[in-house]
Amino acid sequence: MSESVLAALAALPGMSSRRLAHLLDGRTVAEAWVLVLAGNASPPVVPKEHSARWASQLARIELDEISARLAKLKCRVTSWHDDDHPRRFRDDIDPAPVLFRCGELPGPTTPTVGIVGTRRCSGAGKEIAYELGASLSEAGVSVVSGLALGVDGAAHRGAVAAGGARPVAVVGSGIDVVYPARHRELWEKVAAAGCVCTEAPLGAEPEPWRFPARNRLIAAISDLIVVVESRSVGGSLLTVDEAVRRGVDVMAVPGSVKNGAAAGTNQLLVDGCAPVRGADDVLMALGLATIDSATRRSGERPPPSGDTGTVFAAIDDGPTSVDEIVDYSGFDLGVVYLALERLMTSGHIVADGIRVRRS
Amino acid sequence: MLATVVSSTLVGVDAVPVSVEVHVADGLPSFSIVGLPDATCREARDRVRAALESSELAWPMKRITVNLAPGGLPKTGAALDLPVAIGLLVASGQIPGSQIEGLGAFGELGLDGSVRPIVGALPLVDAVHAPRVVVPAADARVTALIAGSRIRPVRCLRDVVDALHYGLPWPDVDLSLPDDPVEPEPDLADVRGQGQARGALEVAAAGGHHVLLVGPPGAGKTMLARRLPGILPDLTHEDALTVTRVHSAAGLRLPPSGLVTRPPFRAPHHNISMSALVGGGSRSSRPGEISAASGGVLFLDELGEFPPSVLDALRQPLEEGVVRVARSDGTREHPARVLLVAAMNPCPCGEGGNVGCRCRPPERARYSRRISGPLLDRIDLMVQVGRPSTSALLSSEPAEASWVVAERVAKVRQISALRGVRCNAEMSDSLLNDVAWLDEEATLMVAEALDGGRLSARGLRRLRCVARTIRDLGDAGDGLRVIDVSTALQLRARPPLGGDHV
Repeated sequence: MSESVLAALAALPGMSSRRLAHLLDGRTVAEAWVLVLAGNASPPVVPKEHSARWASQLARIELDEISARLAKLKCRVTSWHDDDHPRRFRDDIDPAPVLFRCGELPGPTTPTVGIVGTRRCSGAGKEIAYELGASLSEAGVSVVSGLALGVDGAAHRGAVAAGGARPVAVVGSGIDVVYPARHRELWEKVAAAGCVCTEAPLGAEPEPWRFPARNRLIAAISDLIVVVESRSVGGSLLTVDEAVRRGVDVMAVPGSVKNGAAAGTNQLLVDGCAPVRGADDVLMALGLATIDSATRRSGERPPPSGDTGTVFAAIDDGPTSVDEIVDYSGFDLGVVYLALERLMTSGHIVADGIRVRRS
Repeated sequence: MLATVVSSTLVGVDAVPVSVEVHVADGLPSFSIVGLPDATCREARDRVRAALESSELAWPMKRITVNLAPGGLPKTGAALDLPVAIGLLVASGQIPGSQIEGLGAFGELGLDGSVRPIVGALPLVDAVHAPRVVVPAADARVTALIAGSRIRPVRCLRDVVDALHYGLPWPDVDLSLPDDPVEPEPDLADVRGQGQARGALEVAAAGGHHVLLVGPPGAGKTMLARRLPGILPDLTHEDALTVTRVHSAAGLRLPPSGLVTRPPFRAPHHNISMSALVGGGSRSSRPGEISAASGGVLFLDELGEFPPSVLDALRQPLEEGVVRVARSDGTREHPARVLLVAAMNPCPCGEGGNVGCRCRPPERARYSRRISGPLLDRIDLMVQVGRPSTSALLSSEPAEASWVVAERVAKVRQISALRGVRCNAEMSDSLLNDVAWLDEEATLMVAEALDGGRLSARGLRRLRCVARTIRDLGDAGDGLRVIDVSTALQLRARPPLGGDHV
């Protein structure tokens, strides 16, 4: 019952998270309901101009109908009094007192990384976002994003495809208003694999003012923000500002100086953000990987042994010719060639023109 | 009066039959040649006139017209002197007309009436099917190889008149092929060290695989390349005839026996033009150096100094073994079955990034880029020729001699011949599947090379050919093992400079 009451309160005209915070400050949901319904609460709990309208609206509301809608959407509504309300939203400097969500949030110990960026990104930007989303999810990191076109969607797609830690989508519209419409399938996949959540009440249209508020929630729930591509002005830079206010680290993927879609990220790098070349950089920043493990991932190489080892010992860091190796090892040409081919395949040596050297 | 003598003229390395028609009529004394004669051909008039007079024969003071049919085909060279003279003698009544039925003739005339050797005797005579063919005595041996008893060698114009007019026997010329004096070829025993390069040359000779030698100046690249013909087997009779035809048509000096039996070695300078290398020219379609080297070795020293356009013209002939030269009057095919040996420095100063290299990285990169990827892809073997060590240079122990290597090479060529190919490099795909299948381990190795982008599809085909040659040089067993494949892979050409330079 309290869920439909919360949903009804959040849907009052002119309601905002700040007003909800005042209303639910020290009051249970039921107390808040009674207060508003009485129509005599004083500001700042209920603003004067809304007092009468809110009271009459609440009097007319059909709580059963709201319950039915929520049940159909399989949507849960929590307030900051609830134990399963995300702590990070409750304890934030700009808290979210009410949250609508479909699906399961990742556990409190799961690291979270926000991947944000422009909606009008380059193909490469999309690819990077996808790869980051996939590798991070696989590494047990929950990918947080906004389910928008461009970078957001690509990151979620990657996370869903990898099937690792639960992804989180914080959206700007109501939970029953899929925006952008073409992301309906992805929206459902994210809800199934993780969680789609929003502060906006049921039926809320994607009004422009809702997106900066949404961005603050992305910053609030993320341990780290990665900006894949951003123009010099854009929503993802607002997310960066929110992250800075909360002391959340921001990293940026370097882009070509000719790429307008990367102007913002490159400026972030100039301003001192750490660069992201791949998921390993992010994992390292989270303290989940070490430099050793990052290089080991790129190629496991046991030291060569036997004849191959002897041939390897004959090769310097500088270019070495086959004749020198034959002289050193005393092997037949064929044996040397076989060892060289093996060493080249395993990545121990590389061709330096017609000679070879250690890689 | 009219007389017709059969002859032919060179078109590329082949010849086309030509009817030499001589018409002598009353009128003001004059002499004209029609039927697209070139300058040499037109000058026949002065040579024929002087030769007739020197041979105590009469020059008819009449109106003389010579027609070289077919009229639209350009005629080249001085080989038509003799047929013009014979036709003139018949047309002026000095030789009975019945005598020249079924008579072909070739020869350049000297002012003293002597008959001199001609360029392209072999293809020229081959194109004429007359039962009797008069040829210069100097060309008798080589033309006898294909025309046998049909040839009638003559030393001077008088010999022709004696035989045709007075019924004397044709001059007796010794047609047996003398053994060519054995010209000493440079020997591999002179080469110190260079194990990798020696091995690669042996594989190249045994399988007919193209090879690129890279190394600093003075390391012995040219020395090695010149020793390659010495380990190649003698030409088969069929190949020898083809090579001799080309050399004859190109006007190259033939050995005393007339038949080229050793693989030719051609080393054009790097300022060569494209027509000189692949053949052609505005009118004559002369065979180029690549055709002159057919059956033997084409050595391109200082490969990086050749104009890139000239080098890229080699791509098609290297692949197909023939070069097609297109000119306004048609396309000709010349043989181009060469073993390419190229040598280059790793960079302009020659040190290739070693201590003492004076080239800046962009210079080295530019130098390396002169050899196009598609050309490198056709080069099967690429080896480093380093400066030999002091101990190797001063060693008194002789290195392996050419004849020892040549025996191994000949053995592999015999195996190839049993497979029905001239050398392993010419094996077809189906033949490769029969004799050059990869065992399990070798398949894995090749798969890695393909996945790593080190090998193209053509590269794989050629790699199997080379690996087959390597196995043939060893125990000649069935299929290819990992050791054969790895050797072939390691010997395969790649850009002569390291990846970080380019």
